[in-house]
Amino acid sequence: MARRRALTQEIQNLIDRGRDRQLRLAVTGLSRAGKTAFLTSLVNQLRHAGIDARLDLLKAAREERLLGAQRMSQPDLGIPRFPFDEAVSSLATTPPRWPEPTRGISELRLTLRYRTRRAHGLLGDTATLTLDLIDYPGEWLLDLPLLEHDFLSWSVSQLQQMGPERQRYAREWQEAVARFTPDDIVDESELASLAERYAESLRQAREAGFSHLQPGRFLLPGDLQGAPVLQFFPLPGVKESDRATLDSLPSTSLYQTLARRFRYYQQHVVKPFYREHFRRFDRQIVLVDVLGALNAGAERFEDLSLALSTLMRSFDYGKRSLLNRLFSPRIDRLAIAATKADHVTPDQHANLVTLLEALLAEPIKDLRYADVPVRALSLAAIRATEAREIEEEGRRQPVLRGHGLDDQPLLIYPGDVPRTLPSPDFWQRQGFTFTGFRPPSSDGASALPHIRMDAALEWLLGDKLR
Amino acid sequence: MSDPRPGRHYRLDDPSPDVAERLESARTYLPAQESEPLSDTEAPVTPALDAALAPPRKRRWGLFVVLASTLGLGLVQAMDTLYAAALGGDWLAGAWSLVGILLLGLGGKALVAELWRLRKLRRHARLRARLDEEWMQPEADTSAHDPMALAGALRSQMELSTSHPHWQSFVQAHQPHHSAHETRELVAHHLLHPRDRAARRLVTRMSGETAVMVAISPLTLIDMSLMAWRNIAMLDRIAALYGLQLGYASRLRLFRDVLRNMAFAGASEMATDAGMDLLSMNVAGKLSARAGQGLGAGLLTARLGLRAIAMTRPIAFEPEERPRLADLRREVWHQLRRLEDGSKQE
Repeated sequence: MARRRALTQEIQNLIDRGRDRQLRLAVTGLSRAGKTAFLTSLVNQLRHAGIDARLDLLKAAREERLLGAQRMSQPDLGIPRFPFDEAVSSLATTPPRWPEPTRGISELRLTLRYRTRRAHGLLGDTATLTLDLIDYPGEWLLDLPLLEHDFLSWSVSQLQQMGPERQRYAREWQEAVARFTPDDIVDESELASLAERYAESLRQAREAGFSHLQPGRFLLPGDLQGAPVLQFFPLPGVKESDRATLDSLPSTSLYQTLARRFRYYQQHVVKPFYREHFRRFDRQIVLVDVLGALNAGAERFEDLSLALSTLMRSFDYGKRSLLNRLFSPRIDRLAIAATKADHVTPDQHANLVTLLEALLAEPIKDLRYADVPVRALSLAAIRATEAREIEEEGRRQPVLRGHGLDDQPLLIYPGDVPRTLPSPDFWQRQGFTFTGFRPPSSDGASALPHIRMDAALEWLLGDKLR
Repeated sequence: MSDPRPGRHYRLDDPSPDVAERLESARTYLPAQESEPLSDTEAPVTPALDAALAPPRKRRWGLFVVLASTLGLGLVQAMDTLYAAALGGDWLAGAWSLVGILLLGLGGKALVAELWRLRKLRRHARLRARLDEEWMQPEADTSAHDPMALAGALRSQMELSTSHPHWQSFVQAHQPHHSAHETRELVAHHLLHPRDRAARRLVTRMSGETAVMVAISPLTLIDMSLMAWRNIAMLDRIAALYGLQLGYASRLRLFRDVLRNMAFAGASEMATDAGMDLLSMNVAGKLSARAGQGLGAGLLTARLGLRAIAMTRPIAFEPEERPRLADLRREVWHQLRRLEDGSKQE
């Protein structure tokens, strides 16, 4: 019975995809980039479309053709539902809190109902569009580039990419692992403690604002806590030129043990995650917390840029046709968004977008080559501040009014956003301190305020809502 | 490159923005201080070509001086006569000169009104250019200009009051963080779309009627004058929809601009349309010569109307929302067919 239902569901999906009435939207972002807030706001805005949500830049909503959206039961019953109600209720507490960071995968299916442009058609005058979304911890996403590597090349690249500051966190682990050579036979408990030290160095680096941290499950193990598959680490001191000698080591050697676990991690943790959730997307939005990276400093900024460009290689981009829409979907349109745009004054939004484009310069080149349209924008899924102006020294000074994370009222000019990454000596002199804000007070029943969610939706879905 | 400014905190009870303006006093700078030349405006990309295509700039100062001096001298003479009449008791001459003064006053008023409307047309063109320049680039550095101020200028040019429902709905939709491009989109939707629809309806109706009129009129001379009259009336109404009141001279100028635009700028578009036009006229000509003529005249009116919409609309059309001649062609054709069917039934 369940099997038959699954089959009919599958066929229905296929029909919907054939008619181009189903979209899978990839909401991509590293941890703390604002994925959960984006999804919460997206559901909220679409639910309130045509009532009290201001979606003026979404053409279908502006022309009053968007009738609303409904959350549907998702196709895959084995995956938890996106905790929308929890997120809304945490926004509605006093004082409001941001939704909890995501700790596992969840799915969400929305159907949008809209009036078609031409009121009379073959298929009636209203149409529906199914939108599939998933939420997942951003840490896990960084595992996707891991699939391109084997253990040796991964070890080399990991140690190469560590900047001086990253090295500081990894020093303890490096000293511990330096006692061993690749052909040593190391017992389980020693391996476990070494792996734990490596994981600890990753955790410290994340606390310090780094983002390009692999493997992601070390940071957020989920149900794999303590399993041997999570007990490996890159091996320092190995070189690509030693490949033949390393491969001929006995299977009990340190190198071979680690390589086996790495392969297992690839095959049984990363691959299923990729296959089940990341292969089939039609549209993508990449959320980047540019302000957070600026706050953290120059090296973290470069680190974020590297993480995002390796990450974006894991997705398929290209033009869609009927055939590959059915059998091998590709991302044919992409938005890159600098989130938390409400944390700077509106006159800085243009700079924020320019900086975002600089951050993603490499992937944008690849996308241009693949002829996939990309749009960069600044957005705030849930607008926490209000833009105002004050008079200072005879001229108008834009400021923000809101509440700090400690619930203190603030009236603040958060500072300029640079158009390009400043020179190294600037970071020593000044650096950036963009203030965090708590979400705005809401009653949980009205539409959330936002910045350019409508523009993002127009870019991602607008051409399907005609 | 100067460093970005750091963040700054303000107290919540800071004074409200409407503090009286302060005047800046004179300042002297050291001569050794670094300075750069005032940046001059960019030259157009193809200056030679643009100059060649641009209409020759004629200022009719002679005509203006003649008119103004005629009015002035006439006024002086009429006053003089009136004075003499009052002294000499020649009441009839006095009354005539009073009538003369009245006439001159009316003439002067008309002249001033003409000039005023011409100025308004010119201001409209300038505003269009400004909107194009500042609103068209998607994410350009627009922080220098306030998009809302431009929208306000457009509103006053279109002579809408602040309580007009279209303006109100725009104000409600507009948010302080909207960029110039986004503001433009909203203005186009809330202020211009209703007018676009009305203008399109007008062009459809006028071109259809022109086609029918030309098809049934018995004399070529009447055809020509009918068409000219109707086209000018259509131009007037389209301009009025976008907030332009046309006087005699401004109407002439707009008409001329539209025609010039059709002749030069629209030539490439015409090439694609002309094929279809010829084909449909041929088909219509097979039915009857008159229907062919009518269709030709109707299509000309339609083209003129669309061109006029494109020229008077304060913001240029997005490529996909531009009204197309092909849609109108079908409707003109339907009008003619109805005529044909009607004549067969009788």
